[in-house]
Amino acid sequence: MKMIWAIIRPEYSQKVIDALEKIGISAMTRLHATGHGAEMGITAGLVNYSEIPKEMLMLVLSDIDAAHAVKIISTTAKTWQKENSGHGAVGDGKIFVTYVEDAYTIRTAECRGTGADPPGKTGNTV
Amino acid sequence: MKKIIAIIRNEKVEETKSALRKIDVKGITFLHVTGRGLQKGMIPSRRLPAGGCPPYIGRHPLLRQDDVPVSAHLTNRPTENERKPGFLPKRMLIIVANDSDVKPIIGVLIATNRTGCHGDGKIFVCPMISAIRVRNGEQGDSALV
Repeated sequence: MKMIWAIIRPEYSQKVIDALEKIGISAMTRLHATGHGAEMGITAGLVNYSEIPKEMLMLVLSDIDAAHAVKIISTTAKTWQKENSGHGAVGDGKIFVTYVEDAYTIRTAECRGTGADPPGKTGNTV
Repeated sequence: MKKIIAIIRNEKVEETKSALRKIDVKGITFLHVTGRGLQKGMIPSRRLPAGGCPPYIGRHPLLRQDDVPVSAHLTNRPTENERKPGFLPKRMLIIVANDSDVKPIIGVLIATNRTGCHGDGKIFVCPMISAIRVRNGEQGDSALV
């Protein structure tokens, strides 16, 4: 199981969400974030804007789905520019993938992953 | 060391906080997030349990224009217009804990947040390599206490 944290442009988030939904991935968490990358933000004259608004998407998927999702996000969130023959632009974002050992559904107290059943499953309240 | 990421209902936050305090959980990070699960942010009317779901209160400030208002999910039969998928306001809890504390924390999280309705949330457990206390540069397990 993999956890994907994708930092993308806010104006592209709906496009990415729609594209993921098209391949059947609809469960995700969205949060606002600000930040900058290796370019240290945007400098306009003497002013440096280092906290550029971004959107963060968090998805937890099986290994196979995660590979698909990364491909979809990286192609959809990319800004297409004629000058650089579609290589995207600085600030398009990053995708981070980490391992998830267990995933619990609170409603059913079910566990998917390596862990055994949680203590709440049999009705005891720990 | 493990990182526990729990996504829970907004109205359960206070209850969860006091429950976690009882089992001596030291540090928690809270985040306002919007999200949806496999139901795409809609509550299927047929699956509502007999007692009904806990009421949702008001409209969340983080919801945007294109998000479905929370009140739309209160009606058992939403109109076609309201049935479009939306992102619902949730709270994300991040707890970093020792391996041995993970099981009790998850037990408490499930016991306090379980209502039996869709939208109760998810808990993810991820491996964590290290923790560093910024104040004095302490590393590893001692940085958590």
